[in-house]
Amino acid sequence: MSEKQEVINQITAIDKGPKALKLYMEICARCGTCASVCPVYFGEPSAKYNPVLRSDLIRSIFKKHATTTGKLFGSLAGAHDYTEGEIKEWVDWFYSCTGCRRCATYCPFGIDNSVITRKGRAIIDKLGLTPETMLKVIKTSLETGNTDGASPEAFRAAVAFLEEEMKEEHGVDIKIPIDVEGAEYFYVPPSGDVLVNPEATTGLAKVFHALGMTDKWTMSSCFFDGANYGLFTGNDADMKADNKHCVDEAKKLKCKVMLMGECGHAYRIMKMMMEPGKWWGDLPFKVMNCMEFTAEQIKAGRLKFDKNMNPDPVTYHDPCNFARSCGIVEEPRDILKATCLDYREMYPNRGENWCCGGGAGLSAMDSIYEFRMNVSGKKKVEQTKATGAKYVAAACANCKRQLTQLMEFHGEKVAVGGVHDMLSRSILINGKAAVRTDYV
Amino acid sequence: MSVNTYEFIVGGIIPYLAVLTFVVGMAYRFKVWFKTPQPARMTLFPAPQGSTAKAVLAEALFFPSLFKGDKLLWCASWVFHATLVLVFVGHIRVFTGLADSIMLAVGMTPATIDKMSLTSGVAAGVILLASAILLLARRLAFARVREISGVGDFVALLLLLGILATGDMLRFGPHFNLAQTREWAWSLLSFSPVVPSNPIFLVHALLALLLVAYIPFSKVLHFGGIFFSQSALRR
Repeated sequence: MSEKQEVINQITAIDKGPKALKLYMEICARCGTCASVCPVYFGEPSAKYNPVLRSDLIRSIFKKHATTTGKLFGSLAGAHDYTEGEIKEWVDWFYSCTGCRRCATYCPFGIDNSVITRKGRAIIDKLGLTPETMLKVIKTSLETGNTDGASPEAFRAAVAFLEEEMKEEHGVDIKIPIDVEGAEYFYVPPSGDVLVNPEATTGLAKVFHALGMTDKWTMSSCFFDGANYGLFTGNDADMKADNKHCVDEAKKLKCKVMLMGECGHAYRIMKMMMEPGKWWGDLPFKVMNCMEFTAEQIKAGRLKFDKNMNPDPVTYHDPCNFARSCGIVEEPRDILKATCLDYREMYPNRGENWCCGGGAGLSAMDSIYEFRMNVSGKKKVEQTKATGAKYVAAACANCKRQLTQLMEFHGEKVAVGGVHDMLSRSILINGKAAVRTDYV
Repeated sequence: MSVNTYEFIVGGIIPYLAVLTFVVGMAYRFKVWFKTPQPARMTLFPAPQGSTAKAVLAEALFFPSLFKGDKLLWCASWVFHATLVLVFVGHIRVFTGLADSIMLAVGMTPATIDKMSLTSGVAAGVILLASAILLLARRLAFARVREISGVGDFVALLLLLGILATGDMLRFGPHFNLAQTREWAWSLLSFSPVVPSNPIFLVHALLALLLVAYIPFSKVLHFGGIFFSQSALRR
C-alpha cells in the first residue's frame, strides 16, 4: 500500500470512532481559545504551533475523504488532500505538542487536541517515522522490562546502595523488599526513581518502615518501571504489551494493591485506561498511587516529620497526567505541606497548571532540546520563578528531567525533585530525621 | 423570473427544503454520534462534582470553560448565543401566537405584551448585531484566530450578519406588519404558502433558511455536538 493510501485509510477509519475523535473532526468552531492556553503557542505564537492548524493536518484529510461537503467543495469546506511525503513534516508538528490537555480544559466544546496528536503520531509510527529516541525507549522496555535497560542484578545493586544510604541516614536498617510473593503492596515507580533520583523510593521505603509495614510491600527485580512510551507514540499494541509486563508481575506476586509511583503517564495508563478498559479482564488487585497511600497515613497521624529539615521555600508542579488526567492534586500537597516549612502554590495550579513543556515524551528527546527550553517550557520558567521557591517538586520523571534542564538553561538556582524526596529528608524514624547535608 | 416566482421560491419552497435538510441532517448526525463507540474513558479533571448531565448542561448554557480561558470571547459569544435564543423565542412567538395566549392567561394585557416584545426585540436586534460584529472583528484582529480562519468561518459569520442586518432593517425601517409572517408560517403548515412580498423580508428569510440548511454540514455543528464532546470528558 502506498504511503498516501495508508494515511488516508488511517484517517477515514476515524469515521467509525472513537466518538470523541470523530466529533473533533466535525465540531471545532475555530475560536482560537486553545492557542491562547497552549504552553507551546505561548512560547512562540507562530502558525506551526497553533493547535488548530496541527489538528487540521488530520482534520482536513478527514474532510476530504470522509465527508460529503469536503468531497464536493474541497478547500472551501476546509478539505485538503494528502501530499506524498508530507508525513516527514508531520513528525515535527506532532512531536511539538506536549499532549498536556490544557486545551481541552478551556475549549468550550472540550476538544482534546492531545487525542488528535496521538492519532497523528500513530500514523507516523505506522509509517516507521517515529523519532529514534522514542523507538529506543520502547524497544528497551519491551526487551528488558524497564526503559533504562537495567538488569535484575543492576536493580538489586541499586537497591542495596539505597538501603546502605538509609542506614547511614537513620542508623537503622530500612529495607526495600524485592520479589516478595504475597506482599500486599507492589510498588511500581518510574525506573528513574530507583536509578537516577532515588529519593522518592527511599521516602516510600521509610513510610513503610515507620508504619511497621516493611513486610507488606515489595518491588520486582524485573518489572520496576511503570513508564510506557506506547502512550506517546500512539502505538496501542506496544502500550498494551508493555503494560502487560507489570500486570502479569502483579498477578504473579499476588499483591492486593498495585502501588504506582511518582510517574504521571504510568499511573494514567494503569488507573484510567487499563483498569476501567478491562484490558486484561477483572484484576485480583486494585490500582492506587503512592501519594494517595502516604497522604492517607499522614492524615491518620501515623507519620511524624521535622519540617525544619526542609526550610527552603518549596512549590509543586502539577504534572498534566496526574492533575488533568487522573485528578491527583491534593495528595502531593498534603505530603509537601506536612514535610516542608514553607510550601508555596504555583499559579495557576491543579487542573489549570501549565505543562512543563516536556509532556507526551518530549522531555526524553534531546533532538528538540532548544525547542523545549525556549518554546514549550517558557511559561513554566516564569511560573516557577514567580513562586520564589528554591525547590520545585514534580511527581513525574519526565517533568523532572524537563524542569531540571529548564532551570539550568535559564540560570535559575532552583532544585528539582519528587514529592517523597521531601518526605525522605524530614520523616522521623525512631524520633529522628535523616542525618545528611549533601543534598543538591 | 417574475417577482412572484422569486417570492414563491423563497417563501414557498425553500422553507420546506431548508427545514427538511436541517431535520434530516441533524437527525443523521445525532444518530451517528450516539452510536459511534467511545471505548476509552477520557475523564478530564477536576471531574464534575455532580452528574455528567448537569456539568454538560452547564457548559452548554453558560460556557464556564471558555470563561476561564478567554474572557473577551466569552462575553461576545455568550451574549451572542443567549440573545440568539431570545430572538428565536421571539420569532416563535410571532409565528405561533402561542406565547401570547399564555401571557394573556396570566393576566397581561395585549398592550403590555406588545410593548415588552418591542423593547426586547429592539434591544436584542442591536445587541446581536453588535456581538456578531465583535466576533468578526476578533477573528480578524488576533493572529491566533486569523491564521485558523477559513472560508467556512467567514461564510457562517457573513450569513449571520446578513440575517441580522436585514432583521434590524425590518425592525427599524418602514413599518412591516408582523401579522403577515404569522400568516405565512401557518400557510406553510397547510402547504398553501402565502408569502409576504416585502423585499427585505424575503432576503432575511432566504439567508436565515440558508443558514438553517447549512448547520448540519458546517462548523455550526458545534450546536448539538457540544453535548456529545463534553459528555466524553466529564464522565
